[in-house]
Amino acid sequence: MPKCTIDGKEVEFKPGENLVSVAKRAGIEIPVFCYHPGLSVVAQCRMCYVEVEKMPKLQTACSTQAAEGMVVKTQSEAVKKGRAGTMEFLLLNHPLDCPICDKSGECDLQDNSFGHGSEFMRHSEERRTYVDVDMGPVIQKNMNRCIHCTRCIRFGDEVAGIHEMVAIKRGNNIDITTIDGKQLKTEYAGNYSDICPTGSLTLKDFRFKKRAWMLKKTPTVCEGCSKGCNMEVQHEGNVVYRCVPRENLEINKYWMCDEGRFNYQYVQDPSRIVDPMKKAGDSWLVARWEELLSGLRTDAAGASVLFLVGTDLTNEEMKAIQDAARALSPKIQIQSFGTPGVETSGQDGPRDQILKMKSKTANLKGAESLGISPLLGSAKSDVVVVFRGGRAELPRIEAKKAYGVGVFLEKERNFFHAILPGLSFLEKDGTVINHQGVPQGMKRALLPRGRCKSTGEMLMLMLNQRNNEVTA
Amino acid sequence: MLAIRKPGFLNRLYLIEIIRGLWITMKNFLFHKKVTLQFPEQRRDYSNRYRGQHYIKAVNGVENCTACMLCPTVCPAECIHIVAGEREDKEKYPVKFEIDSLRCCFCGMCEEACPKDAIKLSNIYEMSQQTRTVYEKDFLLEQRGNK
Ligand code: SF4
Ligand code: SF4
Ligand code: SF4
Ligand code: SF4
Ligand code: FES
Repeated sequence: MPKCTIDGKEVEFKPGENLVSVAKRAGIEIPVFCYHPGLSVVAQCRMCYVEVEKMPKLQTACSTQAAEGMVVKTQSEAVKKGRAGTMEFLLLNHPLDCPICDKSGECDLQDNSFGHGSEFMRHSEERRTYVDVDMGPVIQKNMNRCIHCTRCIRFGDEVAGIHEMVAIKRGNNIDITTIDGKQLKTEYAGNYSDICPTGSLTLKDFRFKKRAWMLKKTPTVCEGCSKGCNMEVQHEGNVVYRCVPRENLEINKYWMCDEGRFNYQYVQDPSRIVDPMKKAGDSWLVARWEELLSGLRTDAAGASVLFLVGTDLTNEEMKAIQDAARALSPKIQIQSFGTPGVETSGQDGPRDQILKMKSKTANLKGAESLGISPLLGSAKSDVVVVFRGGRAELPRIEAKKAYGVGVFLEKERNFFHAILPGLSFLEKDGTVINHQGVPQGMKRALLPRGRCKSTGEMLMLMLNQRNNEVTA
Repeated sequence: MLAIRKPGFLNRLYLIEIIRGLWITMKNFLFHKKVTLQFPEQRRDYSNRYRGQHYIKAVNGVENCTACMLCPTVCPAECIHIVAGEREDKEKYPVKFEIDSLRCCFCGMCEEACPKDAIKLSNIYEMSQQTRTVYEKDFLLEQRGNK
């Protein structure tokens, strides 16, 4: 591999790689605004100046490809002066909004200003201000903070496949806005907030809820569809505040869709059932765990029993259910349910040209790998036990007795005779297999709500109850 | 062996020592300045830098605070609880602002961290209470002991 020298370090590079990513591999951070590894290079913010030997002027590292024998300096006096100058220009019109800006704490402009700018400003003229248009339900716009890096425009063009952000007017009056001031249409709008290096485009859902530095971050996998986008759950005090994508070049690159981003909301829905409950006539009563589990055990040992496994469960849970069913009675049938119309991975496929898949649950492949056949039509049996992670769409159930095990909202409980509350995808560890067959780990971010128990614990308690009776 | 000497007759009366002790008492009582105060009527003058009860500074009736959460971030006692919100005349303001005075150690870091000159510690030091006191936003907004 060819080599170049950056700050005295010899670094190998792939031909065609730019200096920002080569330097990053060597542990040298070059400050950037307009450059994003997932977007095309435009080199218009001029923040990434570096000095290249034998070149008369400073070069922008994002648009300079590494070459054999190139000697690059990222910390020379000329570079520092260039960066400080760029920072000063970018901040000429930037408001001192950090105390109320949702980007604050994770803001590239803050970081780079702190690292490369000056503490003082030399101008006292009035700053440019804009009137902002409504950008729809996802994104809150504040153009006063914009530094015109055009990342958002390029994201729409190159990733979301819709040209909806534009730069209008020239020079000092430049305004980044949507075409004709329309609302954003893309189903990937949340990414605008992630890629904007300033607080110009922020999430409405997250607005003023928390400051970025107060959040705990847990890496996990989105359960929104069989793509399995890598994401990070940001939470504090057992409450999730937002989800952001994590880089995984094989699966979701740097992005995620809005459906997956805001999917966490059902986990903390006030109408989620978090106590074991049973139906008594028309009303629902809170029950004891032992009572429901022994009822379930007695019913499951009966004549015709169907265990329905949601394809939103993890492999571990599915396996535990299979084992428990075998231990209870060999007659129990196990079938999977998830997205109507996408029963097998053969029917699964991309829903659009970006990320979304047709299967709305994360682990269709996992259910298949464990040999669970899909449920076709409605669930007919004497006893039906539905195991569900919270996202699989409930099929029609025709049964004398139906149990719901897992995550259910109040409006979904009417099919059932009893609900045994389980854990959602944010409250458990486990493995899911995405549409490419890549197994990925989900990580627990939250503690269980109320009296919820994991599927494994429920099954264990149920089986042990039986053993106790056998020995007693 | 140690010789034990008996005190003489005069010493055994202890009279001289009693008179000497009384003399010290009288000297302090009659000729020295008092160090105590008649508290509610008389008050001690503290320096302007004294760190007492908090208040939130307001300009024209609008609180200076923008709920930036720097004070709860810096507070070593974690006793400030803020909920931010939005309203017509102010993009971001504290809907709820509470200081748990029992946890507060009056270090004054919140005052130092505040970018808006909003949270201040006043000269007020009479803060004893019989119940746990949480200073609410309305209480903090009254401009007592402004400095
Ligand atoms: S965009 Fe960054 S620098 Fe500008 S106000 Fe927001 S946090 Fe501060
Ligand atoms: S809104 Fe953000 S991403 Fe778009 S040009 Fe301005 S700073 Fe860049
Ligand atoms: S004085 Fe210190 S302990 Fe008290 S609220 Fe302020 S920062 Fe917290
Ligand atoms: S630091 Fe000042 S402006 Fe920020 S939340 Fe505290 S009191 Fe309000
Ligand atoms: S990052 Fe290179 S010019 Fe903007």
